[in-house]
Amino acid sequence: MISNAISIMIAVPLIGAVLAFLTRSRGQARLVALIASLVPLALALQMYTEFDKSSKLMQFVESYNWVPSIGVRYTVGVDCISFPLVLLTAIVSVLVVIYAWGENHRPNQFFALLLLNEVGVLGVFTALDFFLFYIFWEIVLIPMFFLIGIWGGPRKDYSAIKFFIYTHVASLVMLLAIFAMYFTYRLPDGSRTFDMLTLLQATADKSIFPPGLINAIFAGLLFGFLVKMPAFPFHTWLPDAHVEAPTAGSVVLAALLLKMGGYGIFRVILPMLPHVDKAFVTVIAVIGVLSIIYGAFLALAQKDIKKLVAYSSISHMGFVTLGAVAFTWLSIQGAMFQQFSHGIITCALFMSAGTIQHSVGTRIISELGGLADRMPKFASLMLAAFLASLGLPGMSGFVAEFMVLTGSYPTFPVYTLLVVFTSVGVTAGYHLWACQKVLFGPILKKYLDIHDPHAYEILAMSAIVFLTLLFGLQPALITDMMGTAAHQVMEPVVTLSQMGVI
Amino acid sequence: MDLGHYAPLGAEALLTAVSLLVVLVGLFTKGRSSLPGYLSLAALIVAMWMVLTAQTGTVFFYDSLRVDGFSQFFKAVFILVSLLVVIASLTRYNGRPGGDEYFALLLMATVGMMVVASAIDLVSLFIGFELASLSTYAMAGFDRTKKNLEAAMKYFLYGAASSAFMLFGFSMLYGMTGSTRIADIAGASLAAFNPAILIALIFVVVGFAFKMALVPFHMWAPDTYEGAPALVSALLAAGSKKMGFAAAFRVILIALLALKLEWYMAFAILAAVTMTIGNLVACWQNNVRRILAYSSIAQAGYISIAFVVLGVASEGMTGPNNLPLDQYALAGGLLLVLGHAIMKTGAFISTAQVASIAKNTEDPDDISNYAGLGRRAPITAFCMTIFMFALAGIPPTAGYFGKFVVFGSAIYGGLVWLAVLAILNSALSLYYYLRIISYMYLREPAGPKISESKGYVLSLLLALIATFWIGVLPDGFFNWAMQAAAALLP
Repeated sequence: MISNAISIMIAVPLIGAVLAFLTRSRGQARLVALIASLVPLALALQMYTEFDKSSKLMQFVESYNWVPSIGVRYTVGVDCISFPLVLLTAIVSVLVVIYAWGENHRPNQFFALLLLNEVGVLGVFTALDFFLFYIFWEIVLIPMFFLIGIWGGPRKDYSAIKFFIYTHVASLVMLLAIFAMYFTYRLPDGSRTFDMLTLLQATADKSIFPPGLINAIFAGLLFGFLVKMPAFPFHTWLPDAHVEAPTAGSVVLAALLLKMGGYGIFRVILPMLPHVDKAFVTVIAVIGVLSIIYGAFLALAQKDIKKLVAYSSISHMGFVTLGAVAFTWLSIQGAMFQQFSHGIITCALFMSAGTIQHSVGTRIISELGGLADRMPKFASLMLAAFLASLGLPGMSGFVAEFMVLTGSYPTFPVYTLLVVFTSVGVTAGYHLWACQKVLFGPILKKYLDIHDPHAYEILAMSAIVFLTLLFGLQPALITDMMGTAAHQVMEPVVTLSQMGVI
Repeated sequence: MDLGHYAPLGAEALLTAVSLLVVLVGLFTKGRSSLPGYLSLAALIVAMWMVLTAQTGTVFFYDSLRVDGFSQFFKAVFILVSLLVVIASLTRYNGRPGGDEYFALLLMATVGMMVVASAIDLVSLFIGFELASLSTYAMAGFDRTKKNLEAAMKYFLYGAASSAFMLFGFSMLYGMTGSTRIADIAGASLAAFNPAILIALIFVVVGFAFKMALVPFHMWAPDTYEGAPALVSALLAAGSKKMGFAAAFRVILIALLALKLEWYMAFAILAAVTMTIGNLVACWQNNVRRILAYSSIAQAGYISIAFVVLGVASEGMTGPNNLPLDQYALAGGLLLVLGHAIMKTGAFISTAQVASIAKNTEDPDDISNYAGLGRRAPITAFCMTIFMFALAGIPPTAGYFGKFVVFGSAIYGGLVWLAVLAILNSALSLYYYLRIISYMYLREPAGPKISESKGYVLSLLLALIATFWIGVLPDGFFNWAMQAAAALLP
C-alpha cells in the first residue's frame, strides 16, 4: 500500500497543471496531461484493490496540523461514500484528456486547466476538514471559468461570469453555515475545529445545536449543495454554462462538478437530516421531483442538442436528490449509484454533442439528419449513450434509477408514481426523438462529405459505453461500496478519533 | 546618551539618513546617477530586517513613541509596500532627472508612516501623519502631467481638510483631559464631558474616515488613484491608507475605548455603507485604476468590520481556541491590512505596466487596453489575475484568509447581518474583478506581445509569492497578527 496515496493523487495533477502550462507545444502539453491524469487513475485502481468495501470507516486517512491556531487540519481520507466518486473523477479526467487530444487553441493552458479541475474535484471528495473542503470547492470554479471563457461559444463572457458568480454566492452561503457550526461547537478541551466528522456528529446534540440554529445551518448548507447539483429552481446557471462551454468543459462540468453537490448531500446533509425540521424532507423531495420532471420537459423542448443534454442532467440529478432524501437503504444506494452512473453516461452525451458540433458545424437538431450514414461508428456510440441515458436495462442508468424509484416508493409513494408516470415516458421520448432526428433518416445532401471523427474521440466514447455496460451488467463492482455507504449515512456519524485512525 | 537604547528605532533612523543621503547624491550627480534607487532598496531591506528583529515593549522620547508588536506589524507592512514600489520604480525613475527626489520622498513617506505606527501620543502621531502626507502630496504630482496635478491637488485639499478635522478633534480631547498621551486619554473619565466629547469623537472619526477613505468621505480616493502616477497610487492605496488604520486602531480602540457604545454603531454603518457603495460603484467603472480605487474603498469597509466587532466584544467572549474575541477580530483586521497592502500594490504595479504600453493613449488605464493581456504580457496578466481573485477572497490566497477571520469574528460577535452583507458584497465584487480578468484572457489582444519590464516583473512576482504564502501557510502570519493585536489591546 502506498502511503499518502490521496495526497499524491491530488499533488500529481497539480504539478502536471504547472508543467502543462509551461510547455511550448501541443504535443508536450497533452502528453503531460495524459500522464498526470493517468497517475491518479492508477492510484485509484490500486486503492480499489485494497479498499475494504464492508467497512464503514474512513480509509487511507492522512491528517496533519495546518493552521493550529484556529483548529484547521489537513485531513483527507476516503470511505464508501466518497471512494466511488474519486474513482469516477480519475476515470473521467483521463477520458477527457483523450477526447480533447486534438485541441488546437492555446493547448497548454487548456490541458493545465483540465488538470487543475481534477485537483479541485479530487480535493472536494477527499477533504475531511471544512476549511480544506471549502478551499477545494472554490478552486474548482477558477479553471471552469477560464474553460468556458476562453474556449467557449459566442456568449462565453456572460456565461462564464454568470457561472462563477452564481455558484460562488451559493458557496458563500455554505461558508456562513460552516462558520455557524465552527463557532457553536467546542472540543472537550475548549478549542475549536473544522473537522467535518466531528462537527457533523455534534449536530446531533440538541443541547449544543438548538433546533432554530440547526435548521438555519442546514438550510445554508443545503442551498450551497442544491445550487451546485443543480436542482430546480437554482438550475439557471447550468444551461448557459453548458451551451457555451467547450466539450471537454461540459463533460467535466456535468460529470464531476455536479457530483460535488450530490456528494455534499450524502456527506453533510443526510447525517443532519434526522435532527432538523421534518418539513425539510418534503421540501427536498419536492425539489427532487420537480427537477426530474421539469428538467425532462425542458429537455423535450430544446432545439439545440447540447442544451437538451444539459437539461437531461438536471433531470437525472433530480434522482439523486429524491433517492437521498427518501432515506431508505435502497434509495440512498440508488442515488449514489446514479451519481456514478450519470457521471459516466453524461460524458458520452456531451462528447456526442461536441463531435456533432465540430464535424457538422451545427447542433440544432432540426438541421441535422442521417448522420449514421456517414458516421457509422460515431452513430452506434451515440445511440448507445442515449439509450443508456434513457435507462435501457442492461446499462448502468437503468439500475440506478430503478433502485431510486423502488427505494423511494415506501417513503414517497405519490411522488414516486408521479415521477414514473410523467418523466419516464418523456425522458425516453426526448432521447429517442433526438437520436432519430440526428442519426437516422436519409442523409442530407449538405452532409455527404462528413466522416467519422478522430480515433481518440471514438476511443474515449467507446470506453464510456464499455463502462456503462460493465456497471449495468455487474453493478456490484461498485454498489457493494454504496450499500455500505447507505448504511453508514443512516447511522450516527463516527469521528476519526473514534475510528482510531488519528 | 546610550545609543543602544534607541536600537529598536534603528529602522526609522536608517531610512531618514538614507533619504537625506539620496538627496545629496542627486545634488552632486545632477540626478543622473542610478545610485538613489539601489540605495533606497538596500536601506529598505535592512530596515525590514531591523523591524522584524527589533526588541519590543520599549517606550521612547518621553512616552511619545512605542515599539511593540502592533507597531512592528504595521511598519513591516509599510516597508514591504515601499520595497515593492521601489523595485518597480527602478526602471521607471532611477537614473532619470528627478529620480533622486522621488526616492527621497518615498523614503520620507515611509518614515512618516512608521512614526504613526509607533506613536502613542497624539502630537507625534499627527506629525508622522503630516510627514507621510506631505511627501505623498508631492509624489502624486510627480510626472507633472495635467492629470497628475489634478490628482495631487485633490489629494492635498482633501488631505489638509481631514488633517484639520483630526487636529480639531485632538485639541478637544486635549482640552478635556489635559494630556495628549493616548494612555492618559484612555484613563480619563471621558463620559463626564458629555456632550462635548461626542463632538470630539465625531471630529476624530471623520478625520480618520477621510484618511481611510470610508464612504461618504471617499471622494478623493478614486480621483487621486486614477490621476497619480501608477506606482505612487500603489503607495497611496496600499501604504498611506493603511496608515489611517494604524492610527485609528490606536486612537479609537485605545484612547476612546470608554466610548465604544457610541462609536461602534457609527462604524457598523460606515462599514456597511462603505463596502456596498464601493463595490456597487466599481461595477460601473471602465478605468481599471478607478475600479481598483473603489475596490480598495470596499476593502476598507471590510477592515472596518474589525472595529465593530471590537465594539461589541465584551469581557469573556472568546473566539477559536479560547482566544479573546476582540484580539481575534483585530488580528483579522490586521491580516486584511497586510493582505490588501500586498495585493493592491501588485495590482497597481500591473496597471503601471499596462499603461506603459497602452494603445489608447487618451486613457492609458481604460479597460480596453487590457484586452488580450494574457498573450501580450503573460506574467503581468497572470499576476494581475491572481491579485484579482485574491482581492475577491477566493482561496487559497491572502485575501481569503483575512476575510475568513474577520467575517468569522463578526458572526461570532453576533453581527450576523454585517457578516451576511460583507459576504454578499464579496460576491458582488467578483463581477468587476472577473470583468478585468475576462478582458485579459477572453478577448483578442489589443496589440503585439511586449517585453515586460524587469523591475515590474520582479515586484509582481514577489507580491504573488507573498499572496500565496499567506494564503497557504497562514498559521505563522495569524500568530504574528495575534501578537500584534495583543500588544495593542489592554
